[in-house]
Amino acid sequence: MFNKKILTAAVVVSASAALAGCDQFFQDASDREVDITQMSPEELAEHLVLETDSYRLDQEVQEGGTGRERMQQDEIQALCSLEGSPDSETAGQVVAAARAAYERPDGGVELGDWRRGAELARSGYGYRVGHNNDDHGTREPGANCYACHQMDPAETTYGTIGPSLANYGRERGTDESVLNYVHEVVSNPHQYFPCTYMPRFGRNFLTEEQISHVMAYLLDPESPVNQ
Amino acid sequence: MAVGVAGTAAQADEWQDPNDVLQMLLEAQPDSKYLHQSEMNIMMMPDNPALWLLDDGERLFHEERGPNNASLESCDFGKGEGVLEGAYVELPRYFDDVGKVMDFEQRLVHCMKEIQGFTSDDSAVSQRHGSGSDIMRLTTYIAHQSSGYAWNPPLDHPEEQAMRDAGEKLFFRRGGAMDFNCAACHGDSGKQIRASVLPEMRNSQEWTKAVSWPAHRAGQDNVRSQNHRIRGCVWQMRHAGILPDTPVNTALISYWNDAARGEPAILPDLKR
Repeated sequence: MFNKKILTAAVVVSASAALAGCDQFFQDASDREVDITQMSPEELAEHLVLETDSYRLDQEVQEGGTGRERMQQDEIQALCSLEGSPDSETAGQVVAAARAAYERPDGGVELGDWRRGAELARSGYGYRVGHNNDDHGTREPGANCYACHQMDPAETTYGTIGPSLANYGRERGTDESVLNYVHEVVSNPHQYFPCTYMPRFGRNFLTEEQISHVMAYLLDPESPVNQ
Repeated sequence: MAVGVAGTAAQADEWQDPNDVLQMLLEAQPDSKYLHQSEMNIMMMPDNPALWLLDDGERLFHEERGPNNASLESCDFGKGEGVLEGAYVELPRYFDDVGKVMDFEQRLVHCMKEIQGFTSDDSAVSQRHGSGSDIMRLTTYIAHQSSGYAWNPPLDHPEEQAMRDAGEKLFFRRGGAMDFNCAACHGDSGKQIRASVLPEMRNSQEWTKAVSWPAHRAGQDNVRSQNHRIRGCVWQMRHAGILPDTPVNTALISYWNDAARGEPAILPDLKR
């Protein structure tokens, strides 16, 4: 159902654009040549985001490129812009897109240093832009795991958006299939949880080395997560 | 307890003390983790530091200021020139004089420029976010005149409806470096980000508290606005930085206030 809505919206966009001409259709809302009541809500939302100077779209961002590219949706973002869970057809498209984008590291998945992973799991620094930019020259980005997950059972301030990961490694071990699966989930969780709210940390966010540290924090028998 | 809620919404078109509004919501939802998360803030509510801004805001509203040496008494927030009672909860709305939908802050700035002659460079207009700013003092004074009134942003004009509906799409629009939308944090009840319990957008009684800005933020020791809350969420979501007085703000606030429709506003509120 959600999928149909999105497809319908896409058709309407093309039809309107063909009728009005792209240049005329997407002008700044403030110049009054645009009649916002003639747009679908989806069209108007896209127009507001990308054509009204509501954001600092020209500002450079840490991963390269500009704010405009941040705000332009890729396939998974567009498919998952919905309330609630995706229907089965949409979920299938999301999983397929996620699998197509995934790359296993050369040489296979390895665990890094759980102590560094612990720091990354607690740090919410990185990739924020606008009025107060995060400067990656002075401080590395974090993985921000505790914003949403319980991990170390002794840590008291943890989020509940995602499931508890306490004892995650103790219950699963560290054989190759576990390492591969956890790497796939941290790197691009939509392969298993389509339209999850967990970010794709392998997409311009964490390096492979950082991911190996976070995985060690989660899986290493010595990590406090598994005590 | 639920009876009190229905009563609240039904008789909401009169001014009520913000502390009384909060107490009604707390009684109506004794199990809401969001509403009950900070016992200290609930206890502090009668002495909410945001109330300290009211006198300054009242003076600034009536004082003849700016290059035009004019007061804001002729500013029309939608219910007629100088009418403040119940005006804040009926925004955003379409204004004939500018031919577009404006949210509260956009309208206030518009009046300060058009009536008083301030320009964007004047600190009276450019400083938006601290308790010491003219904008926050005026916002708190004007919003306070709507405390206890039910959120009721008009949707009669086609542009009001269009902006509200686009705001809903924006609320669910995934984007940025972390793929977040607003619903990532506000789609479920009782969820936490770290230690913060989050309000759910479909729970209108949690949501009326969530959108009841201006509010004193205890952790920041400053009174903050709806627009400041959006800026902070956008920053944390790793979207591109959002700019003041722009239509994305207006559309999101149109949707926010509509989602709290019928519930009384807490103005000013106090938050963690």
